[in-house]
Parts: sequence; structure tokens; C-alpha cells
Amino acid sequence: MTQADISVELRPKLVGSRVKRTEDPRLLTGTGQYVDDIKLADMVHVAILRSDQPHALIREIRVGDTSSVPGLIGIYDWTDLEGEVRPAIPTSRMKGYYATPYWPLARGKVRYVGEPVVAVVADSRYAAEDALGLIEIDYEPLPFAIRQVDAVREDAPLLHEEAGTNVIVERTFMRGDIEDAIASAPVVVRGQFRMTRKTATSMECRSYLAEYDTRRRALTLWTSSNIPGIIRDALSDALDLPGSRMRVVAPDVGGSFGGKGSLYHEEMLVCLLARKLERPVKYVADRLEELSSSSQAFDQLIDGELAVARDGTFLGLRCDVIGDIGAYSIYPWTGGIEPVQVISFMPGPYKIEHYHGRVRAVLTPKPPTGPYRGVGRPSSTFAMERLIDMAARELGMDPADLRRHNLVSDGEFPYRTAPGIIWDQSAFQQCLAGAREAIGYDGLRVWQEQARAEGRWVGIGISSYAELTGIGSRIAVAPGMPINTGTETAIIRIDSTGAVEASFGIASHGQGLETTLAQVIADELGCAMDDVVVLQGDSSLVPMSSGTYASRSAVIAGGAATQASRALKGKVLRMAAHVMAEPVEDLEAERGWIRSRTSNAGMTFKEVARAVYLQMGTIPRDIREDLTVTETYDPFLGTACSSTHICVAEVDRETFGVRLLKYVVAEDCGRIINPMIVDGQVHGAVAQGIGAALLEEIVYDDEGQLVTASLADYLLPLASDVLDMQIVHIEAELPNNVGGFRGMGEGGTIGAPAAIANAISDALAPLGLGIQTLPATPERLFQLIRPHLNTLEENTK
Amino acid sequence: MKPAPFDYVRAESVEHAVATLAAAGSDGKIIAGGQSLMPMINFRLVRPAVLVDINRISGLDRIEDRGKHLRLGALVRHRMTASDAVIARDVPVLHAAMENVAHLTVRNRGTFCGSVCHADPSAEMPMLTLLLDGVVRIAGPNGEREIAAADFLTGSLTNALDPAEMVTAIDIAKPAPGTGWGFAEFARRHGDYALAAVSVLIERADGAARNVRVAVMGVGEIASRIVPAEAVLEGREPTAAVIAEAVAALRDDIEPMSDLSASADYRRHLAGALAAKVIAQAWERAA
Ligand SMILES: Cc1cc2nc3c(=O)[nH]c(=O)nc-3n(C[C@H](O)[C@H](O)[C@H](O)COP(=O)(O)OP(=O)(O)OC[C@H]3O[C@@H](n4cnc5c(N)ncnc54)[C@H](O)[C@@H]3O)c2cc1C
Repeated sequence: MTQADISVELRPKLVGSRVKRTEDPRLLTGTGQYVDDIKLADMVHVAILRSDQPHALIREIRVGDTSSVPGLIGIYDWTDLEGEVRPAIPTSRMKGYYATPYWPLARGKVRYVGEPVVAVVADSRYAAEDALGLIEIDYEPLPFAIRQVDAVREDAPLLHEEAGTNVIVERTFMRGDIEDAIASAPVVVRGQFRMTRKTATSMECRSYLAEYDTRRRALTLWTSSNIPGIIRDALSDALDLPGSRMRVVAPDVGGSFGGKGSLYHEEMLVCLLARKLERPVKYVADRLEELSSSSQAFDQLIDGELAVARDGTFLGLRCDVIGDIGAYSIYPWTGGIEPVQVISFMPGPYKIEHYHGRVRAVLTPKPPTGPYRGVGRPSSTFAMERLIDMAARELGMDPADLRRHNLVSDGEFPYRTAPGIIWDQSAFQQCLAGAREAIGYDGLRVWQEQARAEGRWVGIGISSYAELTGIGSRIAVAPGMPINTGTETAIIRIDSTGAVEASFGIASHGQGLETTLAQVIADELGCAMDDVVVLQGDSSLVPMSSGTYASRSAVIAGGAATQASRALKGKVLRMAAHVMAEPVEDLEAERGWIRSRTSNAGMTFKEVARAVYLQMGTIPRDIREDLTVTETYDPFLGTACSSTHICVAEVDRETFGVRLLKYVVAEDCGRIINPMIVDGQVHGAVAQGIGAALLEEIVYDDEGQLVTASLADYLLPLASDVLDMQIVHIEAELPNNVGGFRGMGEGGTIGAPAAIANAISDALAPLGLGIQTLPATPERLFQLIRPHLNTLEENTK
Repeated sequence: MKPAPFDYVRAESVEHAVATLAAAGSDGKIIAGGQSLMPMINFRLVRPAVLVDINRISGLDRIEDRGKHLRLGALVRHRMTASDAVIARDVPVLHAAMENVAHLTVRNRGTFCGSVCHADPSAEMPMLTLLLDGVVRIAGPNGEREIAAADFLTGSLTNALDPAEMVTAIDIAKPAPGTGWGFAEFARRHGDYALAAVSVLIERADGAARNVRVAVMGVGEIASRIVPAEAVLEGREPTAAVIAEAVAALRDDIEPMSDLSASADYRRHLAGALAAKVIAQAWERAA
């Protein structure tokens, strides 16, 4: 390095600093624009009559006297839309897979309570809902199996007859000889684990607005989606419109957590109705609809077995998973998205030679499961980390030591797991050590002994996990699915005023990507951060896009931003070199200034832009370059992001309520773009993990009805349920990708349920009890503990 | 989740409100804080033809100290009850209970009388009204009447009002000076409706418990006093054994329901565990 280079290196960078989010001023002052804030002239509103039957044929739809409802415009069922739309089909090459078609409204048959059947259009939502009361549907109920254990049986009633079975995905991953490993192991622990059904519940409910431009015969859909690019491509096929006439915009979006990351019936519906009526059509889900018709999550039944040597070495792992995926295979991810990930990630960050994982994804009459922050890994981590604690107890070994013994260590990367995932170098061991140190693990064990002696039920729970993030084109969620998730395109241009406009295919919905990508661009391009505008959430920005999900945006869009900025910087410096008559090697750019290292010459980006675009003749036409760059980045494989959570919990002996006392997260997300945003992601995701561990549960009764139909029954964590948590950032060896970023948008939801379950189990260990089902509600704990407490039993009599 | 159409009348006075209710037959409904009524209207579980808004009626938003009792007007919000200095001093059991009622925004609007009228089996204020010998003051087309809280609370989400009547205030008795008190509840999250709660008042005379009152909520159709448990304690020193006896009587007397958040067995266990704690607490505090 030359002297000059070192001085550049030492300058403070934006990447790595706690830059305040540029989104916040508009969001915090109420000037954000969500779909429901958009009001177009002549706009009409939709209310939807949803199925109250889990499985039934639609015999007849009758509409009463509608004259009492002023403002009613029309009532539509599937027969009114025939021929105007093709179904969306979540195709995949998975063997034996059946792709259920998606239609805007139920076609002749309903398959879950909450499925849209009839659409009412009126000039207000009030009027539309009044008209719902006038519609009567004659159903012919069909038999159904609401629980997955029943639905997998050969003689179970079929939800989609065309499939010939309810089991539409079946996969097996194996390595080595699991039978032998289990048969010959000195210690084998087993259990059946389940995280019950859950849903995302973002603050903004799903919202859609479609406008049809009769002049251009073009549709625009504003949607609260985190995958506008995928929705554009799907609608373009379904409605037979080229992308030039089908635009999908995700404006400000109030959270998704995966729940807004799939195609919805209503997105198709508002587009069709807008085209039919030639008026803008808006649909906004209310909370009841959000809870009964948005994609759901978890609900896998996991039978797990872990074989361990006396010294603690993991010998083999077997798991058999039945995933309850609801009534449809979700578009575009397929119903395999959650359950297949469970067996893909079950071995976690540990070295395990022999493995057998089998999964069946089974249809049941419930809303489909789809992506949910962490996708499959909250459940797999819960099962695996519980097994590890059970093994530690069996071996009489400290659970932290047992993990240390088995985690993939430096020198062993890249490590290929049995299901075929490749962990690049990441701080598996350092995260465990970091979390232990931060929480004062050894001291805590001493404290626990004392507390136990006083009769308190206190426990310490650990969970370690790794996730694959920023996944490139090599790995598909479902092999052969109709979309590309592995690339991201950045188009960066400097216009004639010197403004920098960077367009991406991502769709930020709370992650602060407008800020973090601007940080990356400003550093790499050398412009001022204020001059950068990041455009995203609009399918018209780049030729192909998908959106923001799977912890991909910082890694892949960050990589594309880095590459495009570097290329654009080259252009800027070449043009500046000509104007300044300096050698281009001597120039550097920083905060909007181009300076020579060897003279006092300098000029601004704005001056370069003027020279290029406006001052005819300043730059000869044969060397003149437009200040625009398009770069597509594909990280190909993906990179590991790892973490350890440690939690201290206490179970109240009288009420069976759980209180969390301490929480530490140590995580490696590679090069940190903005520590404040990383902290926020961890806080939020751990809060959601607390919800999954202690509170949130979607319940269907035996009649197939949703019982948790409001936020009084579906309990989300409140501020008073979330504790102060400590975060240790470990930027270990950087991954081998452009920028050195690892994805970290999901992690907390993966680690927290397992850590909390282990802490509760540790608290109950003196009673010989452990947690196998989450959430660990007071009722569940009461039922679990009561038979084991003689004294308590006497009291209760 | 939009309400069915309804007419709205802003009442200028109690007389106006009562006359409007009377004119509406049985299709009128008072709206106070709206914190329980609005969700039911939005779910179309309740479809009043006329909503009578009492929020602008003057004089109803007061907590009056009337010596032996306090009078809480129909527009006394939870926030006022929770922060009132006289209540904190003279009726600490109510003060303590208010901590557990809902969340800030709900507390700013919800009313004491509205809660008692709404008669949710898991709400604190009906239970406290029973514990504190509450008297409900009612205005109707034929003038005013008063009825005891126990007669007012007729069941889950039902009360003894005629369609054209409204509650103008509730009187609660101040416990005698030196009365020991206890309150405990358990809810899934802070501010939620409780799975169970118990409140207790005990006076102490010559080393024995006197005038014992035990009230529970969340473990039956509606909040109630537990007379058998009171009888166990009355006139005795609440030793551990006596408390256990009272707890057993309480567990025997209640008929908790099973629902999504808790089984009857768990609720019964919980009520007993909370009772044991608060009886001991109340006795300790009794002077
Ligand atoms: C999120 C949430 C959490 C809550 N948590 C709790 C809790 O933990 N504990 C608790 O006790 N409550 C809780 N509540 C309910 C809250 O306390 C309500 O405010 C209260 O139950 C009703 O009071 P209100 O003034 O809002 O009555 P409204 O909603 O206006 O009316 C309720 C009913 O009472 C009738 N009514 C009201 N006032 C009168 C009157 N003066 N005369 C005749 N009829 C009348 C109405 O017609 C209606 O039928 C919660 C509410 C919410 C939204």
C-alpha cells in the first residue's frame, strides 16, 4: 500500500457506523405512504365473503334484496371471472409433488375457513360489508381431516382430489448409516417436538389497490408485499399482460415477517375487478381476515433422535417430520418451504456424520403455511437444541460444553452438512464463547444452585444455530420453482444535476435498506450520502426482480450496489480526469468531491455531471461516458450467519407463568453496515421469538374453525413481555462475497424459542420434566408439572 | 370489520339520554368509553339502532368523597380511578387492582361504571364493586333507583338495567380504618383480562379475623363473593392451616369455565394459590 492508500483506508466510513435511518423522518411524522393512504379518484372498495366451512362444495350462491344498500356496485363469484384469469401454479420439480392452483375466488369448492368466495364492490367498505349480510351460500359439507396425523393417512378425505393424496411433498435426506449409529450409540435421546401454528401479524394488514389505465390498457397494483417483482411476474402470466403493462409497486410497507411474501388471492382479485370496472379497486384486510387468511407458519410434528458417544460426540441424528401446510401449496414457494427447511437445517451448526431426515408436507383445511421469519429453522433449532440439552443431562455434561464439543470449528470450514448445506467460515465457536462470557455463564450456574436451594424454578437455556443467507442462484427454495431468487440488479445513475439515483429489485418493509444501501453506495462511489436516493419496491425499476426475504437484501443488493458503485466511480473519475487534466490514477472521490492526491485540483460530482451532460464539447465525444451503470450480482452459494442465544428464565411455582430474567445474543453477521439497524433486527426478532415461545398460537378446533380470531386470543408479545437484551457482535472472518456481508434479518426468531424452551426445561429439570411443545403457556406447564408435584396435588384437591 | 349502520345521539343530560333510550325501545345503547362496546359493534355482535353518547354530559366525571363512601360518576375513567389520591389512601385495594386494568390508551377512555355495566367475568371493577359493598345508582324514565352490586350483576355480560335506564354513578364503601387488604391476579400479559384474580378485606379484632370479605373473578360466570371461604376465616386467626381450609372452601365453591386460555382445573388451582397469598397479605396488613 502506498502512503496515500493508507490515508484513504483510515478515513471514517459510513459502512460500520450508526447512521440514522433516512426512512424514519417520514415514517415517524405520519407522512409515510402505505397502500391504504393512497386514494385515487373514483376508487371503489371490496369486502369479501369468506368460507365458514373447512371443506365443502359450493352448491348455490344467493343474493337477497340489495336495494337497502346504497352505493353497492357489484357482487362477483368465481363464475363471473371465468376466462379472464389463469391460475397461478407453484410448480416445482420435486418428485411426487402436486402444485395446487391458485385462483382469485374459490371455484366450486372451499378448502378452509377464511377462503375468499364472493367479492362485493361498493363505494365504501361500510356499504360493501352491509351487502355481505345479504349473501347466502349453500354448502354441501365434505369430510375432512383437520390434524396432520389424520390427514397423512391413506384413507383420509382428500382436499385436492386431483392430487390423489394429501401428502404433496415427500423428501428424504441421508448420509451414512443412521440405523447402525443409533443401535451402537451408548446414549440416545428422543422426543416429539412441535411448535404450534403461528402467523406473522404485521401491524399493517394486507392491503391492495389496483388501477386500470384504459388508455394504455395497463394495470398498476399497489400492494403491501415484500415481493413485488414476483407478484408482477405472476400477475403478468395470470392476466396475460406484458411487464410493460403490468406494474407492481410496494410503497411503504408496515412489516411482513414473511406473511406478505407470497401471492394472495386478493392481489389477483383487485386487478381483475379494476380491469372489469375500469375504476381503481381497493381491498384492505381487517385483523380478522389477517388472522384467518394470511399465510401461517410452523406446525410441524418432529420426531427426533440424537445418538451420542460417552465423550459427547454427536454420532447420528434422525428426524421424521410431518408438516401441516394448510389447504394450498403456497405460491411461488410451494408447501415444502417450511417443512423441507426443517430437515435441511436440522443438524444445525454441528458436526454430525450420520443423518436421516424425512419430511412429509400434508394438506389440511387451514390457510396455507408460507414463509415466516426464520423459515423452518425456528422449529428445527427448537427440536435439535432440546435434544442436545436432553443428551447433556443424560451424559451429566454441561450443555454449553457439549455444544462446544460438537460445533464446527475454525479449520473445519467449509463444512458440508449431511443435507448438503455448505457452511463457509463463520464464528460458530466464537458466538458460543461470546454469549457465555457476556452473560457470565459460570457465575449463573452458581446462582442457579442457590436459587434452587430456595425452592425456585430457575433455568439457563442455550441455543446455537446457523442459517444460510444471501443465497445465490445455485440453491432454490424448491427445485424448479418459477422464480429466480439468487440475483439482484442495481442500476445506478448520476443525472445532469449530480443526483445519484440507485434502483434495486428489493422491497424494504422495515429493514431500513434505503439507508444501508445508501451507506454502501456513498462509500464505494465516493459521493455524499445525502445525494443518494435508493429506489426500490417497484417492479418497473429493474428488468427482473423478486423482493426482500430470506435475509438476502443486504448481501445480494449490497453486493450489486458495491459492484455498480465501483464501476460508476471508474466512469466519474475518468471524466473528471479529462476535465481536470490530471492522471486518473491520482484521483480519489469522497463525499461528493473528486480530488487529486498529487495536486490541489478538485471538483464536485455535480461539476462532473454538468461537464458530461450539459457542457457540449468539454468532453470529446469519443471518450464521453454516460454516468449510468447496471450490474447484476449473484453470490452463487450463500453465506452462513451464526449466533448463540442464552436466556435465563423462571417458572412461578404458584401460577406457572414464565418470567425471562436475562437474555444475551452473540451473533456473526459479517461486516456490519449499520450496527443500529442490526441491533434493531435482533431486538425485534427476539421479541417475535418470545412470542413463539410463550404466547402466540393459532388454534383450529376439531370442526375446522379458527378459535384465535382476534388479538385478544392470539397473543402477541407486549413491551412488558420483552426484556432488555445484550448483544455481542462478532465480525469473524468475512465471507467470500462482494462486500463481506452476511444476512441477519431473521436470526432472533430462530434462536429465541429454543433458548427459552431450554431455560424452562432446565428450570424444571429437578422434576425430570422438559418442554416439547411451544408455546409454553401456563396451562401447558400446569398440565405438565401437576402430576409430578405431590404437594401441589394435595393443594389442588 | 365495520359496524352496521346506526343513529348517533349526543346526550346533553341524563334526562336526554334516558328519553332517547326510551324512544329507541330496546334498540338503544349507551356508549361511555367505548372500549368494550366498539369492538362488539365492529364485529357486528351488537347492532344498536341508536347509540347514545354520554361523554358530553357534565357532572358525571367526578369522584366524590362522601365520608363513608365514594361516589364514582359514569364518566370516571380508569385513569382517574387509578390516580385518585383519596382512593389510594382510603381504598388501597382498588388502587392496587387498577394497576392491572388494560393499557394506557384504554385506561384514558374506559369508565368504571361502563366496566361494571359490561359485566365481563374477568374484569376487575365488578369484583371490586362487590368487595366494597357497591351500590349502583340508576336513572330511568320513572326517576332514580339504587340497587346493590350483587343484584346488579346478573351474569356474564348481563346486568339488571331496563332498556331505558342508565347508570349515573356507583357508590363504593370505604373499608373501616385499619382494614387489611390483599389483591392478586394472574394474566397472560400485563393488562390483559385475568385468568383469575382474588381480592380480600379483613379486619382484625382480638387476634381474630372479622368482617372478612373474599371476592374472585375469572373463575365463574361473573365476579362473586365467596361466602364459604369468608365463613371459614370469620372469627379465627388465619394461620396457615386456617388459610388452607379457606382455600379449600374457595376451590369447592367456584365453578370455573374452560376456554382457550385456561382449563377449569388450572383456574381452580390458580384461584386457590392467589387466595392463599392475599389472605395472608391482608391479615398481615390488618391493624
Ligand atoms: C385491549 C383492552 C384490554 C382491556 N383490559 C381490561 C382489563 O384488564 N380489565 C378490565 O376490567 N377491563 C379491560 N378492558 C375493558 C375496559 O376496561 C373497558 O373500558 C370497560 O370494560 C368498559 O368501559 P367503557 O366505558 O369503555 O364502556 P363502553 O364500551 O362504552 O360500554 C360497555 C357496555 O356498558 C354499557 N354502558 C357503559 N356505560 C354505561 C352507563 N353509564 N349506563 C348504562 N350502560 C352503560 C354500554 O352500553 C355497553 O353495553 C380492556 C379493553 C381493551 C380494549
